[in-house]
Amino acid sequence: MIRAFVSGLRVDLLQLIRSPFDMVGMLVWPLVFASIAFLLLGHETGERTLFTAALGAAVMIMWGWVILGAGFALDTQREQGTLELVVGAPTPLVVLISPVMIARAVFGVYGLVLTLLWGRLVFGIPFLIDDWAAFFFAAVGCILAIGTLGLIAASTFVLYRAAFYFGISLQYPVYIACGLILPFSVLPGWLRPVSWLLAPTWGFRALREAASAQAPWPDIGVCFGLSAVYILIAIPCLAFFEHLARDRATLKLA
Amino acid sequence: MSFSVEPGELFGLLGPNGAGKTTSIKILTTLLLPTSGSVRVLGFDPVRQPNEVRSRVGYVFGGDRGLYDRLSALDNLRYFADVYRVPARQKGKRIAELLELVGLTGRERDRVETYSRGMRQRLHIARGLLHDPPVIFLDEPTIGLDPVGARELRETVAALRDSGKTILLTTHYMFEADELCGRVAVINKGRIVAEGTPKSLKAGVHDRTVIEVVAFNVSEAALESVRSLDGVDSLAVEAEDQMQVLSVQSARGAALIQPLLATLSDAQVTSVTAREPTLEDAYVQLVSEP
Repeated sequence: MIRAFVSGLRVDLLQLIRSPFDMVGMLVWPLVFASIAFLLLGHETGERTLFTAALGAAVMIMWGWVILGAGFALDTQREQGTLELVVGAPTPLVVLISPVMIARAVFGVYGLVLTLLWGRLVFGIPFLIDDWAAFFFAAVGCILAIGTLGLIAASTFVLYRAAFYFGISLQYPVYIACGLILPFSVLPGWLRPVSWLLAPTWGFRALREAASAQAPWPDIGVCFGLSAVYILIAIPCLAFFEHLARDRATLKLA
Repeated sequence: MSFSVEPGELFGLLGPNGAGKTTSIKILTTLLLPTSGSVRVLGFDPVRQPNEVRSRVGYVFGGDRGLYDRLSALDNLRYFADVYRVPARQKGKRIAELLELVGLTGRERDRVETYSRGMRQRLHIARGLLHDPPVIFLDEPTIGLDPVGARELRETVAALRDSGKTILLTTHYMFEADELCGRVAVINKGRIVAEGTPKSLKAGVHDRTVIEVVAFNVSEAALESVRSLDGVDSLAVEAEDQMQVLSVQSARGAALIQPLLATLSDAQVTSVTAREPTLEDAYVQLVSEP
């Protein structure tokens, strides 16, 4: 199963980097998100706040790539007829779908680095990372948590033929619920408990706390813990939606 | 419908579009759940024991789909070998053997998007055989192939049959079924209307004659008149641009040529021949019955 996972990761990354269209999007998207964040806040804002905004933009990119990229990847698999072959394989579906999510989230690291570099080179925002070791683990925890949350969403993508559009509908609600677009102070109070269930909330907190060396480990721990919980939820979800897809004949495009 | 396939047999499922051939294969390969009835593959239930079935069957379908186009053939096979649990030690050897079998050695590092349809189809076969399944499902594997590619693929299928694999083949090409299959079943509207060896099916029309008329500009009204002629059992029409080939089945000895020519007097008839019925004629007869 480990071989199938690693092989799936390799296949997905190869597919991704061999698509000029995808690669242009990957290059432009982080720069646009980061620029919007920096320009909205303005130069008079403190460097720490701008750096934190860059981290928030990077987390948004990670979630965006996971949820849209995974939806697009499954649509493509359905279109090219490989989804049936993957579902019809003796390896559990979770092992074959999770590399798609993780590959997208790993590209989120590239998005993070590109965002910070863009901030440094174009907007003059220094790298304000006080605890590099904690920051590294925070990044890994953030990727895992966001990737595995995407896995739960992906279980529905196996069923629905319009996975990409379903992915779009999940993108901004999560940004908002996690306080990445608007501060929690302006959001309704009931959204706060919702945000605690979502990986980007804790991923962002872990990165922010690690960068400023303010006790990041509990947040990093939550990221890893949430990843385990998400996987436990995703396994039966995938089995359930696979069963439905076999019942409703939606594994094929037409 | 109900049928069984013996170990080592190449069994053909024939039928018009929408008859239920692909649906049957998808149920047998665990990709669809049946609404009723029961199925067994090597004694396992595809509904309750999908993993037992999946590790023992290979599924190959026709057409351009089912491969990662941006990857090389080698990358595709490596991935599916891992997904279908080919032991790591055997993977390289198995892939090399299969590339040789399907004639893709030397092109394995090229991206699949540069492959012809025939090459893709042969790669499909290799993919379906990676885990050395005892049972193979071939769903219209020669569809869209040029004559040479189709013939090469049939040779590969025959070699698989001779090596002892159990194969379930669906096809629209009757000569293909006649050449390859030990037994066939004809499905129409979700029901088996005939089952047996190609020879026994042909025997069902041995008392008949087929008159083949090649003509231009035959109107629908004229075709209807042909159908209603006394002695005509069935009519199949193949059209190519303005030309039509009419295959008229009738009882042996029926004097139909003159009435046929009279009915087609407004069309330009270029040839009329009478011949012995083929498996295709038997098939047309079976699926034409109300």
